[in-house]
Amino acid sequence: MSFVQGFFRNMVGGLVRPCESVIKNWSLYSMLVKRDLVNRTSGTILGKVWPLVQPALQILGYWFIFGVIFSVRAESRGPNFLEYLLIGMLPWLCVAEVLNRSATMFREFAPLYRRNPFPLELLPLLVMTIPCLVYGSAYFVLNLFLGGVDKALLSLVVLPLFMIWLIPLSLLFPVLGLFVKDFAQAIPFLLMITLFLTPILYFPSMLPDGLRQFIWINPFSDLMALVHGLLQDSEYTWMNAVRPFLIWLFLLGPCWLVYKRSIPHIREVL
Amino acid sequence: MGEVALSMQSVSKYYKYYEKEMDRIKEIISGKPRFQKISALEDINLEVKPGEVLGVIGQNGAGKSTLLKVLSGTILPSSGEVSAHGRIAALLELGASFHPDMTGKENVFLSGAIKGMSKNEIENIYGEIVAFAEIGEFIDRPVKTYSSGMFVRLAFSIATHIDPEVLIIDEALSVGDGAFSRKSFDRIMDFKEAGKTILFCSHSMYQVEVLCDRVIWLENGRIRKEGAPVDVISEYSELVRMAAPRNESLGSVAQEESGETEVVISEAGAIPRILEVLVKVDGQTSEVHKIISEKSDLEVTVLFDPGNGVPLASVAIAISGGDGRILSSVGSAHDKIELFINEQGQGVAKILFPALPLLRGNYYLDVALLCEKGIHLYEAARQVAEIFVEQEGSERGVVKLPHQWLS
Repeated sequence: MSFVQGFFRNMVGGLVRPCESVIKNWSLYSMLVKRDLVNRTSGTILGKVWPLVQPALQILGYWFIFGVIFSVRAESRGPNFLEYLLIGMLPWLCVAEVLNRSATMFREFAPLYRRNPFPLELLPLLVMTIPCLVYGSAYFVLNLFLGGVDKALLSLVVLPLFMIWLIPLSLLFPVLGLFVKDFAQAIPFLLMITLFLTPILYFPSMLPDGLRQFIWINPFSDLMALVHGLLQDSEYTWMNAVRPFLIWLFLLGPCWLVYKRSIPHIREVL
Repeated sequence: MGEVALSMQSVSKYYKYYEKEMDRIKEIISGKPRFQKISALEDINLEVKPGEVLGVIGQNGAGKSTLLKVLSGTILPSSGEVSAHGRIAALLELGASFHPDMTGKENVFLSGAIKGMSKNEIENIYGEIVAFAEIGEFIDRPVKTYSSGMFVRLAFSIATHIDPEVLIIDEALSVGDGAFSRKSFDRIMDFKEAGKTILFCSHSMYQVEVLCDRVIWLENGRIRKEGAPVDVISEYSELVRMAAPRNESLGSVAQEESGETEVVISEAGAIPRILEVLVKVDGQTSEVHKIISEKSDLEVTVLFDPGNGVPLASVAIAISGGDGRILSSVGSAHDKIELFINEQGQGVAKILFPALPLLRGNYYLDVALLCEKGIHLYEAARQVAEIFVEQEGSERGVVKLPHQWLS
């Protein structure tokens, strides 16, 4: 098989195989999703309110620092800072949780597959599903409040699209997290840096002119531009969609190949 | 099910050793091997027919557990083809597949789902699983709060209730303690009687010989011999004995090298247990049992608590030498002798060895209490009595065989 054929074959595999696994093992998948949702709130005083309260408290903290302390001001014709922060921050919190958990995924679920023929292709989508459900419901409510029914309905596609874009990373991070011990340690730091390099806590226009052109190296900047464009009618260009898509296409095959190759090693390591 | 329940074609499995931890991830990313092979299985070809009970024997490190893990799908072979027809249940390391934060009930459904069962299918057997496991209200508590006994009982119950076509058992024919041990043993016997395919790996040659239709002997990851249990086991046992003389004691009777030592009695009276062993020489009891070879009669009486709710146990008695090697053994189940219960409600086994033909030396008596089929061990009492044999002649050896000079 030529390199190009292999590349495209793995690219398709990276998208299809995890989805196939979910369909084939739907009963197992739904059981684990349900259990994870229950685990998050069982034994707590606020119970089912936590999925809404937790992101709200995090956003409140960032708003206090950037909106109140640093007094980040709204653009003249754009949304106010709090709305801008809310629209960008919730998807980011979801992304951060997926990536954080992906890095420790193999260890977390080890009791299930260590001595059992468990479908390991199921795990990346499982890890993505729960944050998507938790933050997705909060995001819907937020957009209903800020932009009405139309924007709320549009917001329903935002997190699933983010999750699709995250598939390559959610295949790669578990492998790195298991086999490179430093990786799991470095993840919180890397996520924090990425957050600061992405225009979520500030408007892109606030960056110095010399820096502004470099923010597009970070694909999350493009994704955030699309999110704000979709939900807040901010300006965006078709390049904001093309760049992340090309990166996604480029990463999907190799990341699936790495995930596939790691499977025989996982039980040996654990 | 077709002609073959399980098959392995040219299956090899090696574990990978990396000098540096980073070499593994470098290999995963680049695809270039950076490991040293530690071979566990080499070029295994095997077919197991539906309803067959296949024994797997071999010394530690021979590859038995790896073979069972590959067959059960827990680990992938490095090369070759493995195929299985029908659902497989493996009793490898019991309970290891539970999610510790989930309740027992959730783990029942989870285990079923992993085996590809629908929710309805699991619901249909849920009641039986819980009843068999005997963990009561704990079924609704997270399994991390379970005792090790509860853990094992639930795992065993799940594995044997999902109606597998193939049952893979590594070492333990029974799990848990006390009455559950017997119950789990019966459950596996039911599988055999129902014509299910069973793969049984054990160090207990006695159990392998009694249970299996065919035996494979693994050595250094390869099949050294395959065939009828009696042929394979006799050759294997001889090799083991020559390689490493060891203290067999009662082992050959019931639990050779099985890792299952004497049974822990958790519920007094629930399962049979040995109460007393009486030894008489020529009808006399004494503190020192002196025997004259070929003249003295040796009588052994075993009194035992017959337990509750189980068929009357059988008794096995072995005579071993000072080096621990069993010289001879007898069993009431093998001899098809039905024991009886005396007026005190005690089980009684009484045996006479007339004109004991042992030659000069010190010998020991071991006693085992087993199930009515003589397979499942309830309790073993080792070296319950020492006998001193004297002889009038000058013959050498351990036993004087019946003989007749023809000229």
